[in-house]
Amino acid sequence: MEYFLHISIICLIYILFSSSLNLELGCAGLYNFGHVGFFAIGAYSSTLITLSDYPVWCGFLSSMLIAGAVGALFSWPVLRLTGDYFGVASLAFAEMVRLLLLNERWLTRGPMGIPGIPQIEVMGRIDNYTNLVVALLLTTVSLFILKKILSSPFGRTLKLIREDEHVARAFGKNVVSFKIRTIAIGSAFAGLAGAFWAHYIGYISPNDFTLQLTVLVLLCVVLGGRGTLLGPVVGSIIVIAVGEGLRFLPLPASMTASVAHIQSMLFGLVLVLLMLRRPQGIIAESHLLQET
Amino acid sequence: MQQQRCWRICITPSVNLLYYLQLLINGIVAGSVYALFAVGLTMVYSIFRFINFSHGELIAWGAYSVLLFASAPFNLPLWLAVFPAMLLVVTLAQLQNRFVFSPLKNSQPVTLLIASIGLSFLLRGLLQLYFGSDLRSYETSLYESIDIGGIFVTHVQMAMLCLSIIFFVALHFLLTKTLIGKSMRAVSDSIELAGIYGISTRNVSIFVWTISSVFAASGGFLLALDTSLDPMMGLSFMIKAFAAILLGGVGNVWGALLGGLCIGIIENISTAFVSPGYKDFSAFALIVVVLLFRPQGVIAVAKQGIR
Repeated sequence: MEYFLHISIICLIYILFSSSLNLELGCAGLYNFGHVGFFAIGAYSSTLITLSDYPVWCGFLSSMLIAGAVGALFSWPVLRLTGDYFGVASLAFAEMVRLLLLNERWLTRGPMGIPGIPQIEVMGRIDNYTNLVVALLLTTVSLFILKKILSSPFGRTLKLIREDEHVARAFGKNVVSFKIRTIAIGSAFAGLAGAFWAHYIGYISPNDFTLQLTVLVLLCVVLGGRGTLLGPVVGSIIVIAVGEGLRFLPLPASMTASVAHIQSMLFGLVLVLLMLRRPQGIIAESHLLQET
Repeated sequence: MQQQRCWRICITPSVNLLYYLQLLINGIVAGSVYALFAVGLTMVYSIFRFINFSHGELIAWGAYSVLLFASAPFNLPLWLAVFPAMLLVVTLAQLQNRFVFSPLKNSQPVTLLIASIGLSFLLRGLLQLYFGSDLRSYETSLYESIDIGGIFVTHVQMAMLCLSIIFFVALHFLLTKTLIGKSMRAVSDSIELAGIYGISTRNVSIFVWTISSVFAASGGFLLALDTSLDPMMGLSFMIKAFAAILLGGVGNVWGALLGGLCIGIIENISTAFVSPGYKDFSAFALIVVVLLFRPQGVIAVAKQGIR
């Protein structure tokens, strides 16, 4: 039961994280491969703030603010690139964040990581049920907000920008400002996911925030279906279920250490096959824009 | 000698001068290898119009397959193991081209990019599964160095420099003098026009992947000889190669050479001023700086990048 609880909580964190990526990648067509950087920023800022004796909710709020602000700052130079260029540049950003976390030991303790992060406490209770309830609450509220954003004029403009920037510009939309706001919002939610993850796991180190996580989240979004609200949810559940299911494979004892490698190979393979066979993912986005 | 005296006016102690010169030499050597990576990346870009993320894995596979042929079941001497290793990596690149990138050629660049990310994970996972995640190194004693007036250059570094020069000269003649090289340039200018003239895109892509994988694998081998083998090595080299082609202008072979040299020199000189932990940081920071201060050049490039 404890194990099932743990998986559910991790799954909820992934749903939140991949939904925030979906706003950028699916709706605005910004292929941000450095999303894990904001996850890390959120995790570290919430950790450092709660460790200096502020309550956990304070950590959550500030992690959203800090990640969002960094997102806006980062997008300013990088948005001069489009398409796959933006992708690789954002990936470089994530690596920069990781190197900073590794090297600024006075702040982050470097590769040793930070242990003993305060747990989430609701009405004096600290256990996994509380964690689950809080995760469920955070994810539902965030999904609701994202849904509101998607169906608002703002969200529709984003999809227009994704389909054709020139048309959007012709309609008098400030494309760059829309993109910057999108990245700020997406990063804020990624920061929230990171903060929750840090408080749940209780220990963070720069090695938790590698490209591995980016690819995992990318897979969640692409597998589920880009640009849909439900896509990342379905994608995350499948990815986590398959990833965890691999642990129960009847492998010889000498192979147990290599489960992680088999996992990443499998995820890579799925990503390639998806692109070849069904690039729109499981839940395809209805083409409202094309019909009207 | 004259030049040295001029230098000494700027930097008083001569030890410092030698130190910076040494860093400069190291930078040029490393940069020449980065240039090899960047050329492969930019050539693939000029035909397929996407940044090949799994380029880093070709680098790592180059280094590891030499280790494969030099160890237990084969036990070839290192210089001999290079040849089957190159063959292996070229085959791998051709398989990628045949089964993943060619079928996707008409889709959006981002689809290709995601596919290449998946591919790089698959390939890296295979490396980690077979060789483990630890650092490895070749069992050799190639590390003697030559002393040129207080500056030390190892044999491996000499080999890197010579190899890059040979490869770049060969590439120049391939692109300007042979039919396949000329067709490659034609296809990279305009794929439709080249098609009208009856140039086979298939042959050109085979050519491009061969060049790109040979350059990546041999560069990867030499860098691994100089330092060590690490399954993750591909990623940071890929990003450096990307920074190099951003600097030099995409699709431009000589720009990639210059960009690679710049990255190598900047990264090595930077170790004199900041902690060596930030050595990889400089390439990333350079990407941002280029974007901030040379947007007009980059935007012209980015317009090609859309489709």
